Parts: sequence; structure tokens; C-alpha cells
Amino acid sequence: MLTFAPMETVQEVRPTIRAVRRGPFGLILETLREIRSRQRLVRYLVQADLTKKGANTLLGNVWWVLDPLLQMAVYVVFITIVVGNRTEGYPLFIFCAILPWKWFSTSIGDGITSVTSQERIIKQVQFPKIVLPLAAVVSGIGSFAFGMIPLAALLILFYAEHLSAWIVLIPIVAVVQFVFSLALVVFLSAANVFFRDVGNLVRHVLRLWFYLSPALYSATKINEVAERGGIVSTIFNLNPWTTLFESYRNVIFYDTAPLWSGLAAVLVASLVLLGLAIIFFKRLEPSFAKVL
Amino acid sequence: MDHEEANSAPYAIDVQGLGVEYSLRFTRKTTFRDTFKNLTTRRDGPTHFWALRNVSFRVAHGDCLAVIGPNGAGKSTLLQALAGIIQPTEGNIDVRGHISSLLTLGAGFDQELSGRDNILLAGAFLGIDHDEMAARLPGIIEFADIGPFIDASIRTYSSGMRARLGFSIATAVDPDVLLLDEVLGTGDEVFRAKSRARVQELMKAARGIVLVTHDMHWVTEFCNRAMLIEKGHVVALGEPDDVVRIHQEHSTAARAARDAELARLLAGAASART
Repeated sequence: MLTFAPMETVQEVRPTIRAVRRGPFGLILETLREIRSRQRLVRYLVQADLTKKGANTLLGNVWWVLDPLLQMAVYVVFITIVVGNRTEGYPLFIFCAILPWKWFSTSIGDGITSVTSQERIIKQVQFPKIVLPLAAVVSGIGSFAFGMIPLAALLILFYAEHLSAWIVLIPIVAVVQFVFSLALVVFLSAANVFFRDVGNLVRHVLRLWFYLSPALYSATKINEVAERGGIVSTIFNLNPWTTLFESYRNVIFYDTAPLWSGLAAVLVASLVLLGLAIIFFKRLEPSFAKVL
Repeated sequence: MDHEEANSAPYAIDVQGLGVEYSLRFTRKTTFRDTFKNLTTRRDGPTHFWALRNVSFRVAHGDCLAVIGPNGAGKSTLLQALAGIIQPTEGNIDVRGHISSLLTLGAGFDQELSGRDNILLAGAFLGIDHDEMAARLPGIIEFADIGPFIDASIRTYSSGMRARLGFSIATAVDPDVLLLDEVLGTGDEVFRAKSRARVQELMKAARGIVLVTHDMHWVTEFCNRAMLIEKGHVVALGEPDDVVRIHQEHSTAARAARDAELARLLAGAASART
């Protein structure tokens, strides 16, 4: 965007009420303060979103339970019958990936349009716009939480041998995923104000990302195949979703510890990304009302 | 403006040399393709335009300033700048006190939520404390007077009901400075009388009001000052009667010019046919 030089033509004029241009850390601190003072607004937005999602369909929130199960059924039929995979406990194996991925893709999908869809209120009221992407990602937790019901049902009814105390670590993996999603959504929601086709692009990127991550297959398989290439394996392991999927699968399916060091790395990288995304968002925020 | 002087001045709003510039590079619904086109081809014509330029005025405590002008003159942009929603490109805006800025009333409602939820949501957007909002809720509901619809989703409301609810919220928040955009003509006779009484009440409480309207009757009856804006510039500022007269002269002249242009085009078309 820096190529549009004419933007800078009228900067020499008198002092204005324009807010002081803060440094990067000032912006992040200001954002934290804004979020704290507008907790109530975030809560209302989340509540409104959850009510709406439940209210418009015949089965309402039951879909949050049915959706991942049906999706799992489709993949199981496709992979076991068509491809001929005979892994033990394959339905549970992929369910460990479908559940968090559903949360991720709906958070991204809702989050991208979170700013543009509130166009009318943005043009009427002055408020910290950062609450919009935040609320979108927080309300995504709802669907993930509901997804625990079919997961528990699967574990207890069909895969009792996979049931272990490790599943209490699911929330820790989920926290890392939350920070990662939030960073992406804050960035994308601001970009979407200026380029409305961000949404279309991201939809395809997400689909590709899912198949390139170890969701329907295990990471060890890729590392076996890609050993000769070396670089393929490196890129594959740098993918945050490799760490996230493997960690979810470890605590649910393999009954072992999550990838602690991998999770820590993804968390740190996500926090850095979140900081950058907030700065990006805050820098663009003043022009939202003009562009929308 | 000198800071000491600013503090002692009895103004609710002080605007000096305000200018708001829009970039035409980024408008709503820009896509990558458009941007690519903009980068590769040099477009003729302006890339920026001034929605407002050199606007200066003051609103004293207890004043009600009417802003009038033709469509697209920059009236709504002025209200947005006063509310702090868009930042001025140049000039100074000094607004003292808490502003209520539900500009186009009711447009920001969430269609799926009930009227009651929308009141709370609007309060949260405006940054009003929850306890305060809860205390005001009965008053807002009573003033809007939409009966059992308050618990139905906004989708089912008529436009009049929507405007009434919007007006109740905007004026119930007890602002020091009230910005109203095109609201007084809404609703039935009873509600219009009620809203008139509410606005007069707010005026008496020594608060500044800026009102954008096309209804000249309201301007002369309600406001003690008026400002005419055309093409982003202040054309007249003063007594409502005088300003309204100038506005009517200008719009008559504009209409005459349009009619003459139309007649010329029709004549041209007719002569081309024969």
C-alpha cells in the first residue's frame, strides 16, 4: 500500500485532534486497555453471535454436535473404502483433527468479515474496532466446546481403550490454537476492509492447508516419504498445524504427552504474530470509517 | 487557537478550518483486481476529493445548530467528524463533553436480536457502563413505546418503530453534545411531539445540539442557528430564517438550471430526430 504516494499531500497543515501517533508498544498497550474497558461489549457480541447461530436452523445448536460427526463419517467412508486405509481406530484418529480444524476454519471465516459486517455501526459510533475480531474468535470456542460432547461419546462408547487422563490437556493445546487464530483473524479482518476478496482467497488457502497438514494421515508417514527431500520435511514440520494436530492426537488418541517444545514454539511465534497483527490493525483503524 | 482561551470559552463545539479528504483509491468493495488496474494504468481525473474544506463554526452551550444543504454536500461527513468517527485531514475540532452519536438512528441495529438486547448492545458500543444502562433500560423502552415488540427481533419492526427505538437510545444516554441526523421527521404525530419535547428538554439543559435535516420547518422552529453547506464549503451561517431563505433560493436556482439543461437536451434530441 505504500506505493500510493499521493496520500501524503496534505500533511503540513495545522494541529488537529488526530490522536498522537504511538509507537508499536504504545499501540499494543492501548489495545489491551481498550479490550479491558470493553469486556462487556465483547461479551454481548459473543452472546449475540451464539444466539444467532443457534436460532436460525431447525436443530439449532445440535448442529455443533452433528457437524463434526457427519464430516468424520464422510472422510472415513472416503479414506477406508476408496483409498483402502486400514488403520486401527481411524474414525477417532481423524476426529482428533476435524474438531480443532472446524473451530479454526469457522473462526477465520467469521473473523474475516467481523469488521466489514459491522460497517453501519462503525460509521455511527466511535469505539475500539479490535473488539470485533476478538469477539468472532471467542465465539468460535462455543462450537469447539460443543464438539467435546461427540468426542466424549466416541471415546466412551467405541474407543474406551483410548480413554486416558491425558485428555485433560486438551485446553492447553486449545489455548495455543486460540492465540494463533486470533493473530490471523486480527490481521485478515483489517486487510478485508481494503480488499474484499481476502475472504475468497483465504477459503482456498484453508482447504489446501488442511490437506497439507497431518489431519487425515499421520506426520510420521510424511516424514518417512519426504526423508530424501529434506526441505519438504522441514517445511512440513514448520507448519503450526503439524504441531497442533499431533498434540491433539497425542493426548486423545495415543495417550501420551503433547509436543511440549513444538507447542511452546508455536505459542511464542503466535504471540509475536499477534503483536504485529495488532499494530497493523491499529494503524489502519482510523481509515475504516472512510473506506467502508 | 490559544489553549487558555479555549478553556474559558463557553463553547460546546469549536471547529476551525476543518477539512476532510477522501481517497478515491480505496472505496468500498475494492478488490485486488482494481488495485492492480490502478497500479498499472494511470487514471485521469482526481484521486482525492474534499468532502469538507475550510469549515469553521462554534456551537455555544444551549445552542441548537441546524446543518442544511443539498444531498452530498458533506453534512453527514461533518457529523461523523464531530463524533470522532472519522479523523479530520486538516483543521481543529474541539468538542467538550460526552457525545452521543447514533447518527442514522437505528441503522446499527442487529437484525436478529430483540429490541431489548439491541438497547444493551448499543449501550456497550457507546461505552456506557452496564449498571447505568440497566437503570436506563425501562425509561428507554417506555419512551420508544413499541409495546410487546421490545422482545421480538428487530427484523420484525417497521421502519417507524426502528427509528423510535433509535431516538430513545440516542437521547437517553444523557449526552453533553447531541448529534442528530435526519430523525425528527420519523414516526407518527404523537411520537414527533414527544421527540420535539425531548429535544427541547436537552436544549434547556444547556447542551449543544447539531442537527442535520431536510425539513426546513424544523430548522426555523427548533434551532436558533443554522448553517448551509454546499459542496463541502460553508455558504451561510447565522439566523435560521436567513439561512433557510438562501438555501431555498439556491435550490430554486439549481432546479431552474437543471430544468434548463433538461430542456436543452430534449430539444437537442428532438432536433436530431427530425
